[in-house]
Amino acid sequence: MSLAARDSQFVIGRLLGLRFGSELLILGFTLLCLVFFLYPGIWILLASFKTPETMFAKGVGVYTFQNYVHLFESGFTQALINSFVVCIAAVLVSTFVSVTAAYAFSRMSFKGRKQLFQTVLLGQTFPWIVLVTPLFIWFARIGLLDNWIGLVAAYVAVTIPFSIYMLVGYLQGIPRSLDEAALIDGATHFQILGKVILPVMLPGVIATATHCFLVCWGEYLFALAFLSDESLKTMPLLLQNYFGDGAPEWGLVMAASVIATVPTVALFLPIQGRIVSGLGGGAVK
Amino acid sequence: MKNRRFVWCALAPAFLLLGCFYIYPIVFNIQNSLTDTSLFQLRQGGNYVGSANYFELFTSPEFGRVLWNTAFWLTFVGVALRILIGLGLALALHSRTIARYRLKTFARLALIVPWATPPIVSIIIFKWLLDPRVGDINQALLGMGLIREPIAFLGSAHWVWPVILLIVIWNTLPLVTLSFVASLQSVPDELIEAAEMDGATALQVARFIHLPHLKPAIIVMVLMSTFWTFNNFVYVWLTTGAGPGFLTNVMATDVYIKAFIDGRMGFSSAMGVVMAAAMLVFGVIYLRVVAAREFKDVLR
Repeated sequence: MSLAARDSQFVIGRLLGLRFGSELLILGFTLLCLVFFLYPGIWILLASFKTPETMFAKGVGVYTFQNYVHLFESGFTQALINSFVVCIAAVLVSTFVSVTAAYAFSRMSFKGRKQLFQTVLLGQTFPWIVLVTPLFIWFARIGLLDNWIGLVAAYVAVTIPFSIYMLVGYLQGIPRSLDEAALIDGATHFQILGKVILPVMLPGVIATATHCFLVCWGEYLFALAFLSDESLKTMPLLLQNYFGDGAPEWGLVMAASVIATVPTVALFLPIQGRIVSGLGGGAVK
Repeated sequence: MKNRRFVWCALAPAFLLLGCFYIYPIVFNIQNSLTDTSLFQLRQGGNYVGSANYFELFTSPEFGRVLWNTAFWLTFVGVALRILIGLGLALALHSRTIARYRLKTFARLALIVPWATPPIVSIIIFKWLLDPRVGDINQALLGMGLIREPIAFLGSAHWVWPVILLIVIWNTLPLVTLSFVASLQSVPDELIEAAEMDGATALQVARFIHLPHLKPAIIVMVLMSTFWTFNNFVYVWLTTGAGPGFLTNVMATDVYIKAFIDGRMGFSSAMGVVMAAAMLVFGVIYLRVVAAREFKDVLR
């Protein structure tokens, strides 16, 4: 059916009121969902620039940068630095070991490959909370509580399964002829991984590493259990402190929420397509 | 063999880390679940008590409610709502109506914001929105005359689960929807056109062409959402702290409360083992149904 025919059918249908009802339904439902998704974010962005006194008042608020100034004068700057250091360290280690493991799973055949890969995949389905208690007891005994090494180690362990999963999926889409040609030319697997495969799979590696970073950036549970020293606490812990139980410091809460979220949205935009197709797996490809 | 040395070198770092900080804690947790280890005497460890922790757990009156909350409210209702609304929204976004009004790109961008928002921020935003004094939701309902008194949503036995699920859905529906939208992209146009030639209605096209095409994506998302929600700690903990009372206590928050509030690490470990065992069942289903197809080459 040509476009013109389709449109004329639409117009006729509309005149008869046939298509109109379903059009309205689809449009209404979509717009309702979009308002639901966008409203909270837009509101918090605006509120973060209002004085706490006018934040909840009706009508136009008084706009100011005060909340942000207060925020950066408080311990939040330190918490952001802490979060950044912990996340970068975890991402570097986790991504490096996952790349080599994913290459071995995808390109080599060896005894126990199936069982080891199944173990990795099961790691993705395991509840993290069950790791917290034993790690806490162990770390308390060997002195890794209130220590970034303990937190980074936990983050590395829980992000490896997802990273290997994503990277093996990505490697499946890279033709084997590429590494086979290099193998015939006498290259070792180390050389093939470093010089042939890594450049090709770089977009996948970057998407995986970014996702890892974002998971650690928002992580609350391990940080809550392992860190009690104020100077070591990460961003999510401080954010929760500001919110508190009784009387939230709204100005700080709003500004801190915006600061915590803007970089994640910015990092998400370029990788979201790869994450969706990676998670959908065979279903999307 | 050169290849064997390479495989060993490539896998060793990842599995060394997994062994120390993933697999060892799981084994250690099972061991702890058979002791009465206390938070306040960690260095000494606890005494071996056999299956006493499990016996206490299974006979405690709390256990049934925790199980029901986790399985029914958080996981079943949470996953079902996500899949159903996600399907509806994906089909709407894929429709010609949305294409005609050029809303698709905008909608996809709009979906990324809640998805990228860290869970802790999502919870804080909604706790503000739901606040009885300053929250917009109460203000709007009062303004429309639907209610006379503000509702303390998080303190009300009636409202607390719907409200937790609202937050979970805001944060996680986008991924499910975008995954379905991506899958819909690969429905061949000729199929739709042929169906329309034969006089199929939009509803019939959705039911007999789109839905069957989406089936693999739906299975993946059902299983993935089950893992993410069942295992999740922050949504319940930061929204209600398992309250009011222990009304919204789920397995993940129960493990935390038993260990870090009651200080009974051994008892908490027993709950952890039960939780892990329950998830293992779904994990095996995932391996059989999804992974075996998705990673044919590796899992031969």
